[in-house]
Amino acid sequence: MHYDAVIVGSGPAGSMTARFAAEAGAKVLILERRAEVGVPVLCGEGVSQKVDSFKVLEGKRWIATKMKGARIFSPNGTTVTLAAEYAGDETGYVVYRDIFDQELARGALKKGAEIMLNTRAVDLLKKNGKIKGVTAQHFDETLEIEADVVVGADGVESRVGRWAGIKTTLKPYDLETCVQYTMTNIDWDSPYCDFFLGKHVAPGGYIWVFPKGRDVANVGIGVLASLSEAGKAKQYLDKFIAAQPALKKGESLRIITGADPVAEPIQSVTDNLILVGDAARQVDPITGGGLMHSIEAGRYAGETIGNAVEKQRFDTQTLSEYETRWKNAFGKKLHRNYVVKEIMLDMEDKTLDMLADSLKDYKFEEFSTLSIIKALVTKHPSLLVKLTPLMKLARA
Amino acid sequence: MAKHKAFVKKEKCLACGGCISVCPQDAILMISSKAIVDNELCNSCSICVKTCPIGAIIWEGT
Repeated sequence: MHYDAVIVGSGPAGSMTARFAAEAGAKVLILERRAEVGVPVLCGEGVSQKVDSFKVLEGKRWIATKMKGARIFSPNGTTVTLAAEYAGDETGYVVYRDIFDQELARGALKKGAEIMLNTRAVDLLKKNGKIKGVTAQHFDETLEIEADVVVGADGVESRVGRWAGIKTTLKPYDLETCVQYTMTNIDWDSPYCDFFLGKHVAPGGYIWVFPKGRDVANVGIGVLASLSEAGKAKQYLDKFIAAQPALKKGESLRIITGADPVAEPIQSVTDNLILVGDAARQVDPITGGGLMHSIEAGRYAGETIGNAVEKQRFDTQTLSEYETRWKNAFGKKLHRNYVVKEIMLDMEDKTLDMLADSLKDYKFEEFSTLSIIKALVTKHPSLLVKLTPLMKLARA
Repeated sequence: MAKHKAFVKKEKCLACGGCISVCPQDAILMISSKAIVDNELCNSCSICVKTCPIGAIIWEGT
């Protein structure tokens, strides 16, 4: 079996890579260790409306609701609102991630990519130290799959990168450990995506409530792993729900766990190998959001593979086109938001309350973390000292 | 006395992979949607135990 590219993982990053590589004429195989694409869901299921501009999702079946905006609640309950009406109606969707992932995979398969389910990559295939593909376990069979490029789209716990000698192990302060219930029988009538901050709510993270349609909402938590103890994330979430009159009588249709890298971007390319998505830490360190990055970077990875196949060159230099493109597109933003994350981790609850109070009537014209940072700097020139270098990065 | 090793309670694990991403020893694998610790590699650092959001990793022998 020989392919131009073998892609480990059928999440959004893997499927987008496969789609654009296949479209460019590459012979592509996706390996998925699970028996069904997109299942189980490991996500809060929020995505920016920018996803529409990629035109990679057909129909509307993947959309649960369109967000009316977002509300951020500081520890004492002061509310900052990002409303759709001021943001040109450009907000986001709450999605069904299983359907979302399956639609993205279907798009890749329609372009000619192949997929093998229940197939776990177990190691890189190497010859004279050079990456030649992967070894995989497919039911009882051990397969040697040869490929010119191996793509690690294998998520937060990426092992493909480790096998290639890229340091992907996360420090606990660079990981949010998450639990989420999909709840029903609730009295939560907010059309907004709500975020709750505070040391006693979610240390180093936040609790979210994302409406998913009539009487259904995702209620989840992320806690910074370095501030957590065994089972703490679930305990904090249960405590929050019990204290919310609108939620406490609710029942759950689903419980999931998640792990979200909130780290600096890493090296994503080496000879014959590319990392993409959570595996490349393409996640916003403030929000923990990564879907849009995976989709954008997956496209760059796929197009780069197409070019590499045409040239029949698969060395670091050729594949670096991918890294250059994604780092130019959003690498600087990730770095900036990583620094902001560190500043926020140092803030006391009362500082968050004060900042929220100063923004409670602010009319945000853009649905982004950058618009919040800009507003904070306008209101608090003293923050400029810490944030000015970051604003430069934001403009760069 | 031998050190305790991290042990994943299979019936609790929901396969998020957080433990694997933070394991400095690369001692945890995901097989059939359950995390499994390789006792040979585990150095009892406890990072995975603290990281698990639902407390599915315990010390074997305790």
